[in-house]
Amino acid sequence: MHIVNHRRRIVTVYVFFFIGLLFCAFRLAYIQFFRANYLAGIARKQHSVALELEPRRGTIYDTNLKPQAVNISAYSLFANPKVLSRAEKNNLLKILPQILGADIDFLRERLLRNKSFVWLARKLTDDQVVAVRKLKIKGFDFIKETKRCYPNGYLLSHVLGFAGLDNNGLEGVELAFNQYLKGESGFALCLRDARQNKLEIWEKMSAPRDGYDLVLTIDEVVQYIAERELDKAFRQFNAQGASIIVMNPRTGEILAFANRPTYDLNEYAGASKESMRNRAICDLFEPGSVFKIVTASAALEERKVNENSRFFCENGAWNFGSHTLHDHQPHGWLTFSEVIEQSSNIGTVKVAQLLGPPLLHKYIKSYGFGAKTGLELHGEINGMNKDPRNWSKTSIGAVPIGQEVGVTALQLVAAVSVIANGGQLVKPYLVKEIRDQYGETVKYFSPAPVRRVISESTAARMRKILTKVIEQGTGKLAKPASFSAAGKTGTAQKLDPNGAYSHDKFVGSFIGFAPADNPQIAMVVTLDEPHPYYYGGVVSAPVFKNVAEDVLKYLNYNLNTE
Amino acid sequence: MKLPKFLLLLFCVTLLSLTYVWQQTEIFRLAYAGQKNVNSYQELLDKNTVLKYNIDKEGSLIRIGNQVPASGEFELPESFRLVRLKVSQTKIVSYQARKQENLFARLFAIKQQAEAKTINP
Repeated sequence: MHIVNHRRRIVTVYVFFFIGLLFCAFRLAYIQFFRANYLAGIARKQHSVALELEPRRGTIYDTNLKPQAVNISAYSLFANPKVLSRAEKNNLLKILPQILGADIDFLRERLLRNKSFVWLARKLTDDQVVAVRKLKIKGFDFIKETKRCYPNGYLLSHVLGFAGLDNNGLEGVELAFNQYLKGESGFALCLRDARQNKLEIWEKMSAPRDGYDLVLTIDEVVQYIAERELDKAFRQFNAQGASIIVMNPRTGEILAFANRPTYDLNEYAGASKESMRNRAICDLFEPGSVFKIVTASAALEERKVNENSRFFCENGAWNFGSHTLHDHQPHGWLTFSEVIEQSSNIGTVKVAQLLGPPLLHKYIKSYGFGAKTGLELHGEINGMNKDPRNWSKTSIGAVPIGQEVGVTALQLVAAVSVIANGGQLVKPYLVKEIRDQYGETVKYFSPAPVRRVISESTAARMRKILTKVIEQGTGKLAKPASFSAAGKTGTAQKLDPNGAYSHDKFVGSFIGFAPADNPQIAMVVTLDEPHPYYYGGVVSAPVFKNVAEDVLKYLNYNLNTE
Repeated sequence: MKLPKFLLLLFCVTLLSLTYVWQQTEIFRLAYAGQKNVNSYQELLDKNTVLKYNIDKEGSLIRIGNQVPASGEFELPESFRLVRLKVSQTKIVSYQARKQENLFARLFAIKQQAEAKTINP
């Protein structure tokens, strides 16, 4: 009896454990077959983290590989407002605005958000990071990002442009070549420990592709010289704006490109729109007398005149249609060469009458006016070159002397390069090369001749005439001390808002090249509304002289061969 | 299964398990060490970039131009890395005059302040 009772107990315990085991087995099978993916997902989330791997934005170099735009690491501050009490937030609002230099209302709005992640400040300076770290605030942390920096500040600002907070190009070359500079992000799934610290154990990884580097045609030293001289003239003559472009006339490589007013690329957020405008390609202006190079070269090319053809310049005033055409100085009989030297409007119009509107228009178009040059920067305008069918009866008295046409400074330097290089229009360009991170060339930009505009002999004759402009004409202040140069002055009246020509607003310009017999550089200098002097030969010509002298010295041009 | 065989099997399984656990802990230990090295390397790399940037910034022509202000005596010599300050004519004359002073006068004269010489004067 006793034995029977004992066995029953054993069976009961056995059955109890068996049921328990069966339950566990079923549960295990259930988890394994039905809940496995769900639970594995939760586990994966706990011990791994997906990261976006930021690529390095490409560096921008000048032609001598001097860096003009680089990336440096910077920390951005974020907060988790949910872990901060109201009192803590109020305390922080007393300290943070001073450290971060941010607006208190902005910070208050951010800290009062009911979110687990808010940006407080992006790309802080080292001092700011140290100051915030010292506070040891819970719920505050940093994320490392890269910041675009420009070692030369405002130098080359209108060419380089800038990249925004998310490292996307917003202006200039940074925008135009963003697809090359930006690179491609990578992704990684890496492990993290129980404290959520990231470990360098990658489960999956797709490496980022760093952005390509750009090598510009710009020479930092030439750029500096050009900006220095332009800046002096801009301040001296209280101009509203100014531009300068220095170009290699044979290849179209732009060596310097600047505008005034300008801005510091490292502080672009505070810059005015006026200072950010790229006047050299975005501003249209009537060129005035510098445009006479087109009329003169067309007349020579078409054999309508030669250097000694004589024109009566009406002693300074000529009734032309309903208008009276004036010269800035009265002249009687002048040779064709003297007409250009002395910049006679009346003489030039008489030359243009020999050509006629269709032929003149053909050359204007051939010189590239009225069409974009194709420079890589965004925002270039076409300019204005009216079809002869739309010319008025007086247009033949205006267009040859640079009125009723609209040009950009870039078009002018391309046009004067035609004469400098022997008659070929070349496409100006800013980017010479695109390189990968190992310095291997990915893409190379070579000089691109567009078309032949005038013959070599006409170009040579024009060079002689333009040399005389500087030697004994209106451009004497552009004469360099140790070598010859050629060029043309221009003073154009601006239009008043009522459509009439202003008597106190002018654009003073100068286009030229040096040395005259073996041109190494072509240049355009324009000053918008200079005061009190406004003649191109007075305000712009000295800039040409100073820049040409220093640049040729720097380029090691052998001045003694002159 | 006989007991010794069972115990041997148990020993092998335990050893394998311990090896696996040791391997896992070692992976994480190395990962932590690697992380530390990566952070140090990254920090040095960042410092190097900032240093290079600061050198470029300090050596930029804009800055040099601002340091040598409106005197107009700033010129760019053959190598653009160097800055040459033109020595004015009066300074040259006074320097030559000083050189011509006799030894006695030079010994007992009150010394002038040290003078920095420019590169390639």
